[in-house]
Amino acid sequence: MKHLHGATLIAVLLTGATATAAFAATRIVVALPADIRSSMPGTNRDDNTDSVILNVVEGLVGYGEGGDVKPLLARSVETSADGLTYTFRLRSDVRFHNGDKLSSADVLWSWNRYMDPKTEWRCLAEFDGRNDLKVLKVEAPDASTVVMRINRRSALFLDTLARTDCGMTGILSKASVKADGTWDRPIGTGPFEFSDWKRGRGITLSRFAGYKSPEGSKPDGYVGLKTPGVDVVQLQVIPDPATVKLGMASKSVDIAQLLSSDVVEVKNDPALVTSAESDSSKHALLFQTRDPLMADAKFRRAVAAALDYKQLVDVASDGLSKPNNSAVFERSVYADATQRKGFKTDLTQAKALLKESSYRGQTIKLIANKRSPMPSFQVALVTQAMLQAIGIKVEIEVLEWATQLDRYNAGNYQMMSFSYSGRLDPALSYEQFTGDKARQARKVWDNPEAIALIETARTVSDKAERQKIFDRLHEMALADVPLINLYNGLTVWSRGKRVGGFSPWEGKLRLWTARVGA
Amino acid sequence: MLRFVVRRLLAAAPTLFISGAAVFFLIRLIPGDPAALLLGDQADAASLADLHRRLGLDQGLPTQFSLWFQRMLHGDLGQSIRTGEPVLSLVIDHFVVSARIVFVAVALAAAIAVPAGMLAAWRQNGKLDIGLVSAATVLLSIPSFWLGLMLLYLFGLELGWLPVIGYVDFSEDPVAALTYMVLPVATLVLHETGILIRMARASTLEVLRLDYITYARSKGLSEGAVLWRHAFRNAFGPTWTLIGLVLGNLLGGIAVVETVFTIPGLGRLLVDSIFGRDYPVIQGCLLFVAFVYVLINLVVDLLYPLFDPRVAEA
Repeated sequence: MKHLHGATLIAVLLTGATATAAFAATRIVVALPADIRSSMPGTNRDDNTDSVILNVVEGLVGYGEGGDVKPLLARSVETSADGLTYTFRLRSDVRFHNGDKLSSADVLWSWNRYMDPKTEWRCLAEFDGRNDLKVLKVEAPDASTVVMRINRRSALFLDTLARTDCGMTGILSKASVKADGTWDRPIGTGPFEFSDWKRGRGITLSRFAGYKSPEGSKPDGYVGLKTPGVDVVQLQVIPDPATVKLGMASKSVDIAQLLSSDVVEVKNDPALVTSAESDSSKHALLFQTRDPLMADAKFRRAVAAALDYKQLVDVASDGLSKPNNSAVFERSVYADATQRKGFKTDLTQAKALLKESSYRGQTIKLIANKRSPMPSFQVALVTQAMLQAIGIKVEIEVLEWATQLDRYNAGNYQMMSFSYSGRLDPALSYEQFTGDKARQARKVWDNPEAIALIETARTVSDKAERQKIFDRLHEMALADVPLINLYNGLTVWSRGKRVGGFSPWEGKLRLWTARVGA
Repeated sequence: MLRFVVRRLLAAAPTLFISGAAVFFLIRLIPGDPAALLLGDQADAASLADLHRRLGLDQGLPTQFSLWFQRMLHGDLGQSIRTGEPVLSLVIDHFVVSARIVFVAVALAAAIAVPAGMLAAWRQNGKLDIGLVSAATVLLSIPSFWLGLMLLYLFGLELGWLPVIGYVDFSEDPVAALTYMVLPVATLVLHETGILIRMARASTLEVLRLDYITYARSKGLSEGAVLWRHAFRNAFGPTWTLIGLVLGNLLGGIAVVETVFTIPGLGRLLVDSIFGRDYPVIQGCLLFVAFVYVLINLVVDLLYPLFDPRVAEA
């Protein structure tokens, strides 16, 4: 942070003055609910950190809107007939924020850095063989070609490279580290430069004047048109939602994420525009099938039939979302008619199933949390009321998030109102809750057939074949009811009318879409 | 005097040790694994075990405590689990931000409350007394976060006089820094003035009933002289002690005010660290707060004889 470039320095000095003084037409203030954890892509991160850093760095490939992987820094990606060799041809027009031209040597350097255990890259285990897939060799036959060889056929290799929690395996300039090898700041190829970070206060990003957007006439996930529309973005840490609202109302903040419960109030302000964006995260009700009662499929089916999904989701999302009982997110390229099938609300059937089940009037414990903006508690409350209607007694146990996560990881619960983080590929989405409970207690669906299907989906690249697998998994999940996926996550955004075009994706800030005066 | 200071500082050592040990063990009794929080909902057992090892959480509690204690004796409070920053510099940086606001607020609150409390006592049961006591009770009853939000709404949003969000350090722009300080300081002043008025009033009432005040009045001294020369010094002692307690309390925790006003202070750091189970930072913050308490109490005790010479004689 100490070595700033000329233009960036000027921008930072100007922007550092006061948060309210609007000195330039192309400076916007964006509220962040918390500070970022680090400026290293995919290392010591959370969703909030990824949201900021992915404006600065780019990977060889990135996600498109439907969760499909597309070239980003690569011009093209070719896969060998045996599916073990990937050849990435780099775009020739890409430069780093320090002006250096991107070459295959930078990709090699970045890859080796990620694969060094000292970097503590979150996704190291995905590529070093611990999770079966291993990158055997990475070569740079010429300045614009990178060849990666893996140990076995994988449908998820490119997907994992593009994952946002992996920092998109962002390609960095060697100048990102100091002479002694320690981290300095991310010098990437993204639409914004990482100009300044005042810990606990905020981050300043500046438009990268030399940015060359990938092809596309409009934004498409993390690919498509990415030309930045504002000069400076001041990301201001504002943890309190009430202060965020005041900031928006006073025009001190241009873009902010709101609680869904605030939408009705904010919509009345003619100076603000609100929007709700769904993503691939999932809100679900989990059953611990090792519990004697929850092991009874009839009881689980009774619960599934007792819930009025439209009403439940309306309450939990303040009327902004709609039910999705599938693990495949609504906008996925795999969201076909089969995936849109859901549980049917039928109180008569629910009562009949309950009667046939081993339920004998005992009180069920349903764990929830009040972590904002997650709807865990609201979901639990409505579920409690709906289950009471068919005669199931439910007691809600509200835990603090860290404690709930402990119980989840240990599998120590009867029922739980839980939110899964986003996974764009259906195989990864199903894998979040499917697996051998003896090996990982947090797994919810311990079904050998489902586990085998997911394993196949990890290796098969053909879309039609994968679609069949996911459809089969969905039908099995509806019949078995190991958990009840309720609806996809939702983020609510507000922007001042002077800012146009802003369109977040997967709950993350795509700051290049913002325009002033548009 | 020097012997007294040294004795008090030495006596503080066991207090700090017990505080440090209590915080160390108590925080680990709370359910919640920092490694699981860092890795999120999809952590596999191998990654968790690896992170536990890297954070030193795989070792027994006595070993962890012993290592932490040894490092602490060398002035090293460890590194934040979440950000990797050295805890000591993190705590000091955040403390400076909080302290600036708290010292100004407590000084202003005392400057308002002590004369107000004395006046209320002097005019006991009169309109002034009833007005001041009522105002103090109202101020005491209002939660600081609500007061802060109302001030933000009025002066930031409706009148537009002061900034609503953000924080500017004095080293960057002293004038802007002052504008950002006004509302958080005002919130704390209003909140703390209530309790200080009540204490100043109560202790002044007690003193005004003593024989030597009656004697001073019977000598024909003016009410001003009775109040400021004779009553003030004796009445201020308990209020001075309370000021010390208020100061220590606020320096250790104005998290709510810091959250509302987006101030990167010690309270917010502590709360964020608790939610993130960032053990080294929690330990560092609380040990530092305990040290500040000890120091403030020492300063209060050292200055007490200025108002009540009987303490020095004792």
